[in-house]
Amino acid sequence: MTPTLLLPLGLAALGAVLLPLVLHLARRTEQRPTDFAALRWLRQKPRPRHRPKFDELPLLAVRILLLVLLAVFLARPALLNTQDATPVVAVAPGIAPATVARDAKARAIWLAPGFPAIDTPAPQGAAPIGSLIRQLDTQTAAAAPLTVVVPTTLDGADAERPRVSHRVRWQVVPGAMAASRPVPSPLRVALRTDTAHTTGARYIRAATGALDLAIDVGDLGRALPPRTTALIWLARGPLPATVERWIAQGGTALVGSDTVIAAAPTVPAWQDETGAPLVEARAQGKGHVLRLLRSLDPIAMPALIEPDFPKTLAHLLAPAPPPARVAASAYRPLPGGMPPASQSRDLRPWFALAIAAAWLVERWLATRARRAIAP
Amino acid sequence: MPETLIPPVLIPADVRHRLKGLSLVARRAVGDRGIGLHASHSRGTGLEFAQYRPYEFGDEPRQIDWKLYARSDRFFVREAERESPVALWILLDASASMAQSDTRRASFSRLDAGKSLTAALAELALAQGDRFAFAALRDTGLALTRPASGTRHRDRLHLDLHGLAASGGFPEEPALAPLWERIGQRDLVVILSDWFDPACLDLARRLSAAGREVIGIQILTVGERDFDYDGGYRFRDPETGEELLGDGAALRTDYLDRFGAAQAGLHAALDAAGVRHAELVLDQPLDTPLQRLFSRTGNRAGGE
Repeated sequence: MTPTLLLPLGLAALGAVLLPLVLHLARRTEQRPTDFAALRWLRQKPRPRHRPKFDELPLLAVRILLLVLLAVFLARPALLNTQDATPVVAVAPGIAPATVARDAKARAIWLAPGFPAIDTPAPQGAAPIGSLIRQLDTQTAAAAPLTVVVPTTLDGADAERPRVSHRVRWQVVPGAMAASRPVPSPLRVALRTDTAHTTGARYIRAATGALDLAIDVGDLGRALPPRTTALIWLARGPLPATVERWIAQGGTALVGSDTVIAAAPTVPAWQDETGAPLVEARAQGKGHVLRLLRSLDPIAMPALIEPDFPKTLAHLLAPAPPPARVAASAYRPLPGGMPPASQSRDLRPWFALAIAAAWLVERWLATRARRAIAP
Repeated sequence: MPETLIPPVLIPADVRHRLKGLSLVARRAVGDRGIGLHASHSRGTGLEFAQYRPYEFGDEPRQIDWKLYARSDRFFVREAERESPVALWILLDASASMAQSDTRRASFSRLDAGKSLTAALAELALAQGDRFAFAALRDTGLALTRPASGTRHRDRLHLDLHGLAASGGFPEEPALAPLWERIGQRDLVVILSDWFDPACLDLARRLSAAGREVIGIQILTVGERDFDYDGGYRFRDPETGEELLGDGAALRTDYLDRFGAAQAGLHAALDAAGVRHAELVLDQPLDTPLQRLFSRTGNRAGGE
């Protein structure tokens, strides 16, 4: 518990303390002219006239206190090393809290974004478990024992076992987390092409045939498929507004190299062996637009006749989700993580309260009726 | 309505009420001319007839000589030369130092208190039938009225008082000569002043030595008694114009010592001269010195 200032430069505001000092001092030089008939009994005292003396000391003290508090407030006071040794029990969503035996003093939380208390309803939806474990590790004081209660099967894991600084007690209880994302439906493809691209469309049809995919072929006027179906649009000229809207509402479309789409930052989605991009992708609304950069011609694009073209095409149109389910026993956190940064408690709210109180006192002292002469 | 157009009330109602318990008694005059307490309530018809005067608006109807009216069909007022044993002389210091007032009640100066006391004294004299006269003492010109009685004289006095402003210093001795010509041998003289100027004490001494009964009323401000000044001040003597810079708190003890000594000296000098005296500080009720000097219970023994 070390009090400290996170921005010591703010103490430069202490210079403002001179202001009330000058205010309360300057009035001493004032000499009120007064008629006094009994002057002959007054004797001039040889006393130093410039001895600093202050009027209304309580008011001056409160004003100085107010300015000092303000300066310290600007310097961002904080308490360092606030070691909170309370044990922490994090429970993964999907486990009934009542089934977990835990210390009554421990702070029980859900292993979910924001770490809500266990008293609140269990959070719904997917949670990136690995990322949350790392965050909890850095946010918990080094002295606090950390217990993580997880079901047998975890969902939302990422590709690396978390490395933590605490000795985490990894408690596996029967149960399973909700799947983080729905199982994707099988890929369906719709092909819209004009007469100029019938040759190129053959490669697409061949690829879908090789994948044994259902394909809905038609010319440009044919109605658009539902948005779960990927659309391949091979036509010269700009995309019709209906197709643009269809994409923006969540569809995925692959357009030909001579189709004109609105310019926007793109990323290469498929590169050949030499690194030359063959397909670029960009987001549009909720959906994605993929654009071929070469014409559908084996000479311009030899990859068309490679054996893995169908799979690549399917991957482009519907990327497989990364694996996120893992057995809890295999995901036990590893030691060796970075120790948590020293915790500090911000004291500014308390200073703000003190400033408000000092200000009220100052106003009361300065405006009360008993004051002789207002400065 | 601007306040300046309404003349301030000279005698507040409560003070006027308390005046009833007072009587002016001149110790030296008593028993001399055989009229008892010189408050002979002669009803306007004097002891010695002086003259007839045509009736003027404002004269009291009872002063009209009805027999003469029956003869001449005109109203005549019978005037008498009153042989009152004692005339009350009210000498009000009107030098510039009398204009001083306290910061707490800046509109009420020492002169205002003096005017009120003058009016109250005149009221007392009027109530017991004594003649009274008034003189304002200042070196820019002595304002004198002749000794007389009656409500008209009282009203004239009030008119003089309303027009009186403090200025200048205390008059030198030659300027006081008209007083010596007018103040009678056994008259009662009340001097209202701050008594700071030695000339005032000198006048009282000489009057007392000359057989007049002199009463001194000293009017002080609260600041002079308590010296409740705090902070930096430039004190200025209104008569000499002398100035002194000082810090109120630092000067207080020394001033109070010296002022107390001066007051004790003044009281001793007045006592030695046979001058009865009282003091009024501006935060006290106006009639404080009058109660002290003229209270019937307190002065009965001396008066009879």
